[in-house]
Amino acid sequence: MRLALRELVRRPGRFVAATAILTLIASLLMLLGGLLDGLTAGSTGAYRAQRGSLIVYSATAQDSLVRSRITPAVRRAVERAAGGIAGGLGSVQLGARIPGRGPRDVVPVVLFGYELAPRGLPGRAPAGRGVIADTSLRSRGVRLGTVIRLGPARTAVTVTGFASDTRFSGQGTLWGSLATWRAVLAANRPAERAGPGVVQALVLAGAAAGPAAIDAATSGNTHTLTVPQAIAALPGLSQQQTVFDQIIWITVAIGVIVIALFFALITVERTPLYGVLKALGASSRTLFEGVLVQAVAVTAVASALAIAASLALAAAIPPGSIPFVATAQRLATSTAYLLVAAVAGCVFSLRRILRIDPASAIGGEQ
Amino acid sequence: MFLAVREIRRTKARFAFLVTAVALLTFLILVQQALQNGLITAFVGAIRAQSAPVLVYSVDGQRTLQGSVVEPALAQAIARVPGVAAAAPIAQRTFTASVDGAGPSNAALFAYRDAALGGPGSLTAGRLPRQAGEAVGSAQDFALGDHVRILGQGRSPAITVVGLAADAQIQVTPTLFVRWSDLVAASRAVNPDAGAMLPGAIGVRPVAGVSGAVLAQRIDAALPQADALTRDQAAERTPGVAQVRQSFQLIFLLFALVVPLVTGLFFLIVTFQKSRSLTLLHAIGAEPRRLVSSLLLQVLAIVGGGIALGTLLYAPLSQTTVGSLVLRFDPRSVLVWAALLLALGLLSALTAARRVLRIDPVEATTGGGGR
Repeated sequence: MRLALRELVRRPGRFVAATAILTLIASLLMLLGGLLDGLTAGSTGAYRAQRGSLIVYSATAQDSLVRSRITPAVRRAVERAAGGIAGGLGSVQLGARIPGRGPRDVVPVVLFGYELAPRGLPGRAPAGRGVIADTSLRSRGVRLGTVIRLGPARTAVTVTGFASDTRFSGQGTLWGSLATWRAVLAANRPAERAGPGVVQALVLAGAAAGPAAIDAATSGNTHTLTVPQAIAALPGLSQQQTVFDQIIWITVAIGVIVIALFFALITVERTPLYGVLKALGASSRTLFEGVLVQAVAVTAVASALAIAASLALAAAIPPGSIPFVATAQRLATSTAYLLVAAVAGCVFSLRRILRIDPASAIGGEQ
Repeated sequence: MFLAVREIRRTKARFAFLVTAVALLTFLILVQQALQNGLITAFVGAIRAQSAPVLVYSVDGQRTLQGSVVEPALAQAIARVPGVAAAAPIAQRTFTASVDGAGPSNAALFAYRDAALGGPGSLTAGRLPRQAGEAVGSAQDFALGDHVRILGQGRSPAITVVGLAADAQIQVTPTLFVRWSDLVAASRAVNPDAGAMLPGAIGVRPVAGVSGAVLAQRIDAALPQADALTRDQAAERTPGVAQVRQSFQLIFLLFALVVPLVTGLFFLIVTFQKSRSLTLLHAIGAEPRRLVSSLLLQVLAIVGGGIALGTLLYAPLSQTTVGSLVLRFDPRSVLVWAALLLALGLLSALTAARRVLRIDPVEATTGGGGR
């Protein structure tokens, strides 16, 4: 093992190519993971911020907020069955016109109407046409007091505060009262207008009954999910996760192949040297440990460089642009994947090391 | 050539391993390519399949039919732009539906007022709807005679499939081309409070002598609230299409990176292993060019064989469907990828070739060839 480490220190140039390729692979892995985390955070913030633990949709909505419709009668049945506190929730996705931007420069936003305040929002929804904006909209020029005009009807709402990490469907959000949501919806999407008391979903906090009991109490008119289930049911989220996971695993597989081939090459080059070492009494295990140590060291250096690059990238990206976040968990997981890949890659050299005959040191193989 | 072929014959297992690896990679690339094409077709197929040559959204709609609302004043202004021969509304919404009494599933209703401006462009079976309650369905999801019931709180309208259109899905959802009145009825059934159904886009046909692209530019120039696109532009610029392409391109890039890495390192290892023999061959008069040609021939044979095998594996799979995605054998993709992988394979062998060219025949007398 000492020999392997000494070789790394004395002849680092020999490992530059592998370290460079592995740094690229590690950077790619962390970039992909960071993008996935950023995209997921940007799509689910509005749900993650909910103080409630359950979300009730109408049964025929297929767990889609925009297709769900809870009438006052159904709401009463839910409240009776669930206990705790129930708050109505409504949403509409619209183009927002922000002062200072061109006539075609429309910013996509989701306006939420709420009763049960999500974390970071005031307990009582802003009065009148006031809204709380997600902090990501600051990068689009939204400030305290900005009047935003929503949709083709240019319905005006005024920003009275900010909340962080409440994005939804990759878009910045605005949070107002249910009355504001109803008015904006009726003006801009008449075909989706919500009648008095009608909401898209109910958020339940401190409910005594479980989802099945609630749905039974409404005679099957509702479908109740926990917040994590509702997040998982968001359209496109699981597909996005699958595609990214696939790319991440392919990248790890590439890492295994690169390490395997690189150390196989190094082993082939060192065959005569290993023959001499074996003739002097070194065991196959010692030689393999040396290869393993070198592979892990090269991977650790590559991972450290990639972590530095990821953190620098995360710091350099302006808020609201590329959805990239570098979390400690993601960086640690990516490093762990690569270290496992390094060990797996080295195993391919094991057979070659075992087959080295010490007699070859004195030309015994001929 | 003689040497290259002989070596492959003698060490079949080693070369078979590499052929299998290249074949698997080729297979994966071609399947991913087919999945990408299938996914995009399922995402915007209905926009490509509808008959209007130009679609005009409102700027606020950001090029999505479901998100766009064209107000009556804008619709009238679009119809008055010079060069517009005819204009008619189009709208799309997604509902929960039951097909022939089965459990709930998603169904997108793509509604038009004029079949020549938003109706299905061509049918693979059946006919166009003649009355309310009839629809043309996406061929991979529906069969002629299917009865579709929209599930809602009000009186659920029933729709019968009387025609089928290929590649006609939207948002990866089973799609029904219906008359305007059917969309209004479905919207009322799920939301009794619903107001007027406004179009998501206006389908426009240019007058003779004016192209769709020119008319789209004219409409945009005349109306700041309008966002006019030709049919192909509307499909390509639908939000999400570019992201799907980018995601897959990243996968392709990774695959394309693996092939030369694997091939290059494989031949480098092989060259190292037989360096003594190569040195000896060089010492007894074999020209380095001949040895390099032999190496490149092996690369061509191995990568070519891998591509051929990968394509053979892909061919039967490309005739199937994955979920509701229809896969297709795309000869252009096969040719492009074959050429690219062959080029990358040859490029990757350059390091090994360089090593062969650097062999010093004198080493045959000193035993240095083995190092």
